[in-house]
Amino acid sequence: MMKIIAKERLPEVLQLLAKDYNVLVPAKFEGVSRFTPYSADVELALEENVLMPPKDIFFPQTEKMYKFKAKDKSLEIEELPVEKEEQLIFGIRSCDLKSLECLDQVFLTKGYVDHFYKDKRDRTALIALSCLQPQEACFCGSMGVDPQNGVGADIQAYDLKDKIGFKAISAKGQEILEKISGLLAEEEVTIPTFGEFNLKADIEGVPEKLQGMFDHPLWADICRKCLNCGACTYVCPTCHCFDIDSEVRGEDGVKIRCWDTCMFGEYTQMAGGHNPRPTKKERVRNRFMHKLRYFPERYKMLLCTGCGRCVVKCPVNLDITAIIKKIKEAE
Amino acid sequence: MAVTVEQVKEINPLVPIKAKVIKIVQETPDVKTFHITTIDDKKPFDPLPGQLGMLSLPAIGEAMFSVTNKGENHIEMAIKSVGQLTEALHEIEEGQEVGIRGPYGNGFPLDYFKGKDILFIGGGIGLAPVRSLIMECVRNRENYGKLSVVYGARSKADLCFKEDLFENWPKVPNMDLYVTIDREEEGWDGHVGFVPAYVEELAFQPQVTVLCGPPVMIKFTLPALQKMGFADQDIITTLEMRMKCGIGKCGRCNIGSCYVCLDGPVFTMEQLKELPPEY
Repeated sequence: MMKIIAKERLPEVLQLLAKDYNVLVPAKFEGVSRFTPYSADVELALEENVLMPPKDIFFPQTEKMYKFKAKDKSLEIEELPVEKEEQLIFGIRSCDLKSLECLDQVFLTKGYVDHFYKDKRDRTALIALSCLQPQEACFCGSMGVDPQNGVGADIQAYDLKDKIGFKAISAKGQEILEKISGLLAEEEVTIPTFGEFNLKADIEGVPEKLQGMFDHPLWADICRKCLNCGACTYVCPTCHCFDIDSEVRGEDGVKIRCWDTCMFGEYTQMAGGHNPRPTKKERVRNRFMHKLRYFPERYKMLLCTGCGRCVVKCPVNLDITAIIKKIKEAE
Repeated sequence: MAVTVEQVKEINPLVPIKAKVIKIVQETPDVKTFHITTIDDKKPFDPLPGQLGMLSLPAIGEAMFSVTNKGENHIEMAIKSVGQLTEALHEIEEGQEVGIRGPYGNGFPLDYFKGKDILFIGGGIGLAPVRSLIMECVRNRENYGKLSVVYGARSKADLCFKEDLFENWPKVPNMDLYVTIDREEEGWDGHVGFVPAYVEELAFQPQVTVLCGPPVMIKFTLPALQKMGFADQDIITTLEMRMKCGIGKCGRCNIGSCYVCLDGPVFTMEQLKELPPEY
């Protein structure tokens, strides 16, 4: 038995939850799908995963860190007030839940906790939504992700074609489900079978094999068409590199951090003029090594969830599954 | 009380505290040492030798520097003017308030050095991180064996920490100093020549060595040390990369799966051999 609601009545659920939470839903805005605060007039996008990953909910593209005032010899530093609002994401997919596991490793472990990230993570509830069909570039199945059962959600919602089913996973999820239970019916359901993946990647043994491939000629080959535009890193749900800079007006300033990308030359440019990754070969190598070798070595998990966004958005069709295949086949 | 590493982990590690520069020493034409305290004249944090701190003039920038020494109530950073922030730092005067956060990184393995003879090798501003350890050994002289320092710079003017080199350290018991400059110059009667050749000429017995300097110095000194029989685990150096966060999150200072800001900056030759040859 599962708690269900007809798909066209989903807005009633979201409306009810919006009383207690800032509810973020997958929606299309100006042609781009992303998580958007729910309101009656948002254009829900439930057919396929959103283009922009949910990472910006926890790790905004630009984020204020603290204020300062610098005048002559004096300096004042002031922390910014912390938001208190409880958030809820509806419709996060298994691949993007997996990306939160990766980001948790980065921002919450190894001795230092990133307060900005943790604050948002702690006050955000997650309702996962199962996938019915893989999109053209999806390959999460190859990366150990089950597209119908996410890990780490408070509630798993199931796309039952004309209905949506809800199953509480955590205590918090149980609490949320109780809030909306008045709108839900109880029914025996069958979860539709998931379609066939168009893209696949055989990752078995790749992290280990890469250890000996730092100087392999394949990097020169792979990087040839890369434009170093960074689009892959911006749409990637797991890429998390950031820059720290300031916005200054007269004596007042705000320290911000913003997404950065290892594809840009300035990323590792040092003040003395030396750049340890001077050409795109080193930069492309670092990106794929990071995803497939360095991250697994440091955190025991891949830094790729198989969401396929980079495959779709790369302007020169660099395809990580093809690169995995090349690594696999390389001598 | 200075903030301990554990306390730093409790507070937001990306937000600096306000500090002030109480003394500036012109070391060379382009290197100055800044003495830094908190506003209430305490040590901003208590670094281990070899650890790092993020120093900022917030309107201009923030960068990672090695802490070259610590006193009862202050820390010191020796900074070469090479970029936007460091040029601005060279313009400031005593009394300037700055942002500081830290300490970051692993620091030198002090326990490993206890009771041993140590050879310090530095080139140019590379003596800055090494000095933090030399000062620790000088302060706790009885804990360490014989100390030898080989240090070189382009010219006499370019030698950092002249007061230590020519006044303080010569008085330290069981400590040998070998200072060299690249080319002959008037008023210099010391050794002339590059550091790697000088190290080879001095024919040291294998011991623990800490070296830091420009890549070209490291490149030619390493084979000399290996030829003399120094073991990989006894050759210790510090690395530099561009850094933003200092806590292993922002991504850019990785060498392989190591982050220099967090897992370094101190590495043994044995550890470096496990990492990729480039970055």
